[in-house]
Amino acid sequence: MERGPFVFGIRHLSPAGAYYVRHFLDQARPRLVLIEGPSDFTELVEDLGADQVKPPVAVMAYTQELPIRTILYPFAEYSPEYQAILWAREHNCPCRFCDLPSGVFLGIKAADEARKAAAWEDDKGPGPEGRDNEDGTGTQKTQRGNPGSFDVYEALDEWSQDRDHETFWERTMEQAKDLAAYEQGAKEFGRSIRQLDRRDRHDLAENLVREAYMRRQIEEAVKEGLAPEEIAVVTGAYHVDGILEDLPVMTDREMKALPRLDTLKTLMPYSYYRLSERSGYGAGNRAPAYYEYLWQGLRGQDPGYGARRYLSGLSAFQRRHGGLVSSAEVIEAARLSAALAGLHDSKIPTLKDLRDGAVTCMGHGEFSQLALAVADTEIGTKIGSLPQGVSQTSIQRDFYQKLRELKLERYRSVTASELSLDLRENLRVKTKKAAFLDLERSFFLHRLRVLGIRFASIQAVRQDNATWAEHWNLRWTPEAEIQIVEAVLKGDTVEQAAAFELKNRMEQCQGISQIASIVKEAFYCGMPVMVSAAVDALQAMAVDGVSVKELAATAEDLSVVIQYGDIRGLDRKPLIPVLCQLFLRACLILPGECACDDQAAGELAPAVGSLAAVSVAHDFLDRERFMKTLEQIGARDDLNTRLSGLAAAILLEQGIMDSEELGREVERRLSRGIPAELGAGWFAGLASRNHYTLIARLTLWENLSAYLDSLEEEEFKRALVFLRRAFADFSSMEKDQIAENLGEIWQVNPGQVSEALNDTLTEDAMEIIEGLEDFDFGDI
Amino acid sequence: MSDKNVQRLPAEQLFQKEIDALIENEKYPVPTGWRMSPKSVFTYICGGKSGGVEITPKYIGHERLVEIAISTLVTDRALLLIGEPGTAKSWLSEHLTAAINGNSTRVIQGTAGTTEEQIKYSWNYAMLIANGPSKEAMIPSPVYRAMEDGAIARVEEISRCASEVQDALISILSEKRISVPELGIEVPAKKGFSVIATANTRDKGVNEMSAALKRRFNIVVLPAPESLESEMEIVQTRIAQLSESLDLNAKLPKEEVVEKVCTIFRELRAGATLDGRQKLKTTTGVLSTAEAISLLANSMALAGSFGTGEITDQDLAAGLQGAVVKEDEKDQKAWEEYLENIMKKRGSGWLSLYKECKELNH
Repeated sequence: MERGPFVFGIRHLSPAGAYYVRHFLDQARPRLVLIEGPSDFTELVEDLGADQVKPPVAVMAYTQELPIRTILYPFAEYSPEYQAILWAREHNCPCRFCDLPSGVFLGIKAADEARKAAAWEDDKGPGPEGRDNEDGTGTQKTQRGNPGSFDVYEALDEWSQDRDHETFWERTMEQAKDLAAYEQGAKEFGRSIRQLDRRDRHDLAENLVREAYMRRQIEEAVKEGLAPEEIAVVTGAYHVDGILEDLPVMTDREMKALPRLDTLKTLMPYSYYRLSERSGYGAGNRAPAYYEYLWQGLRGQDPGYGARRYLSGLSAFQRRHGGLVSSAEVIEAARLSAALAGLHDSKIPTLKDLRDGAVTCMGHGEFSQLALAVADTEIGTKIGSLPQGVSQTSIQRDFYQKLRELKLERYRSVTASELSLDLRENLRVKTKKAAFLDLERSFFLHRLRVLGIRFASIQAVRQDNATWAEHWNLRWTPEAEIQIVEAVLKGDTVEQAAAFELKNRMEQCQGISQIASIVKEAFYCGMPVMVSAAVDALQAMAVDGVSVKELAATAEDLSVVIQYGDIRGLDRKPLIPVLCQLFLRACLILPGECACDDQAAGELAPAVGSLAAVSVAHDFLDRERFMKTLEQIGARDDLNTRLSGLAAAILLEQGIMDSEELGREVERRLSRGIPAELGAGWFAGLASRNHYTLIARLTLWENLSAYLDSLEEEEFKRALVFLRRAFADFSSMEKDQIAENLGEIWQVNPGQVSEALNDTLTEDAMEIIEGLEDFDFGDI
Repeated sequence: MSDKNVQRLPAEQLFQKEIDALIENEKYPVPTGWRMSPKSVFTYICGGKSGGVEITPKYIGHERLVEIAISTLVTDRALLLIGEPGTAKSWLSEHLTAAINGNSTRVIQGTAGTTEEQIKYSWNYAMLIANGPSKEAMIPSPVYRAMEDGAIARVEEISRCASEVQDALISILSEKRISVPELGIEVPAKKGFSVIATANTRDKGVNEMSAALKRRFNIVVLPAPESLESEMEIVQTRIAQLSESLDLNAKLPKEEVVEKVCTIFRELRAGATLDGRQKLKTTTGVLSTAEAISLLANSMALAGSFGTGEITDQDLAAGLQGAVVKEDEKDQKAWEEYLENIMKKRGSGWLSLYKECKELNH
């Protein structure tokens, strides 16, 4: 190339770059604009530049095969690339992306990871130092290959006067006084980073490959008949030298040799919040809202605008949230930040100066006072939007189609509305589809919930119609749109994505109760295939030793699914044997686990309760065995007495234990010589369930009364503590009834007894009882 | 001036060479009333080079806070340095005035007994009675003098003064003038006048500052040193300076000794071991960096006067016992727990110090 093309170095998301790139293009008057970014994104240029597009938006490319890899290119209004696209559109100039195709980027990334993993295993290599892109979500994200690596930036931090490369960039580049200064500065910046870059050769090689490809793109344009000087290239500052250097372009053979994955791509709305989250990856920035102020300041040719807007944004936030900030303090903050900038030979304060000024003058020296205001003002809540229909992902298409089908479209509004569903078949309509409309809606909304798309939230169910009614709150947010787009990584339709998500969760399950909750979720989502897959997994895992607690939780979940399976049109058959199996297991190990201390008993008691409930709910379960087990627990003296009491309570409830038997048992348990805490503990267990069954049995109270009479002073005190706890959750009405019983036994007026029982304790009595609680029974 | 006999020289005399070098090599504009540019003040405080002269750092770590402090004074706002005891508030304020005005002695020491006269002006009563009010009979306060000279006055421990005395500063800071009704005059502050106040957040017997007064200050909160390394650096630098001026006749403490002291102090201050794995009881004392410095100076004095000239674990143990166990049995227990649970398990390097400390802590 004799005279090269015009190359303008930028930093992604740089307001000054965005402002000057327009000047640059005005001067260069190119007939073709090339922009750094995967060349296969070129087809999206037109959509990106459309009038109705409101940045921030992003282009995402992703693989469909596992592990899913993504590459994301966000654009804000102040992205130089975005402004270049707009310029090209305004001037009817063709515009292309010129970097390696997204599939190659991801291919290189995959190869790189494989290489590093191998090196790691061989224990020879330097280790997987560059693994910063794994974020634990299961998908692996590749960010834009930003100029320079992290250690280069660390070097910059140390070397720059501000000890912070972000501030350095802002002070030198964002405050550049004209196009020439920016251009020159970016070139120097890129060149120094190139020299400083000491990454391993593979990482460096990637940049060289990219530049060879970009040069090839330029050469191709020249072959099409353009003169080099008719081409303008907008690229990261790092690549300016690489593109201009007289090096060979990439050959066809080299092109073929590059690793490549198949990718799909989509435009998606983006938010400033996400942009700021990604700041560490070089594909975002820390303070998008602040950068937008800078951009507005540049557009209005008012260099002080950003600072003023930022400080008054902080004070406005503080006042809105009840903080006191005077205008004088804002002025002082502005003066202080200007003085801080002055210490660094600059007139315009940077974000760091402004923040420190604000903390000192408005926050009384403490950042914590301003932290929320700072987050709000720097990051902002802006969310981009795309016109309907512009490059929708498959999952978006599916989502909108489902909304239409299920007649949910009118709920897609920013004001919250309620939706009540009746899951039963609607017998008044003719078509089958209409008859189960609400059920289908429920499936759909549950799937969204599983995917974490914040469009619909379910309200707690009321008991009376829990089987067939659901109440949802629906509220649309632009955030939800982003979440839907991101769900495309999991599948092409909402259903597929939900299945993927559940499968993913299932793989990470540690215990059977976790799998059972997935069974339940899949059941709510109306995904029978997923249900049976989860049930299989459950069965496989249930072979290992599990605790009663775990078994009970699992049984409870499965029981719900089986009970209400009908209404959701689920085939319950495969679940039944699993539940039987778990139930049997629970019966077998329950007595053994009942030999435990009081704390463990407290945890085990609800599990026993839910097993009892499950046993009652299903005829196919071996209830007899369970009751036998309980009888055994109830009769044994070597187990935790509270649990023995509980077993007795359940047996009583089921009519298996009669009054006579109860009387015998009470006498046995509450006889003199048995340590008071054991007896009282047993009674607490007995009293923890159906209170009325107990109240109705007069003999029980006679026994209790006789027992208390038989105790000596010290023993009585000990028993008192436990009994007091046992009666704590009786209601006052129930206490009234106990009073009646006792009144009868003691031959006194029930009213008086009731008064005594329901009366709040006098302070003296309280003190005595509190004293008893601390009492060390071991000493007696 | 017979420098040698003065126990402690003011900063501007102690570091006169550095200040002169900075003034001589000034390259940037100097604000009215200042002796050097803000940048040079920064270099004076945080260290660097000026001409051929090495400037020692006076304040280590948190350079940004120094920048904020200097910038505050550039905008002629008053500066309030807040922090726990021993976070170098007074130290920083002294050096700021030394560099900016070449005079760090316009100080009001705030106490419970400080009166409004000490902040504004008082009278030579003999003259007042003999001749009636006159300029000669008036005794200007350091703040008054600072206003006349266009310089910076220091108010130390402002929160120890009674609230009404503190509030005397309000009108001075907002009007920037003092009126003397007895003489019928008003003294306007010259350009360059400002106030640096320091206040303590932890000590008992502190009067909360009024919001009106706080509003007139830019507040900079000085934290404890960020890392063990920076605290060690501070301690080592200061010890070296101290031993020079105090003639301690002992060798400077070895790095491992400084590290041990700083580690113990940081751990007891934070209530957790440095690696954050173990929680421990904190003591009632503050255990500031300043205390670590004086502890080591003490140990050096012990070693120099009664020992071999090198700090032994015995000297160190005595110092630690005094610094850690301040008030009551609680401290003693916390210290014993620390000795048994942490120090004893630290390995051979700590063993002899542990034994000495255990011996003393009874």
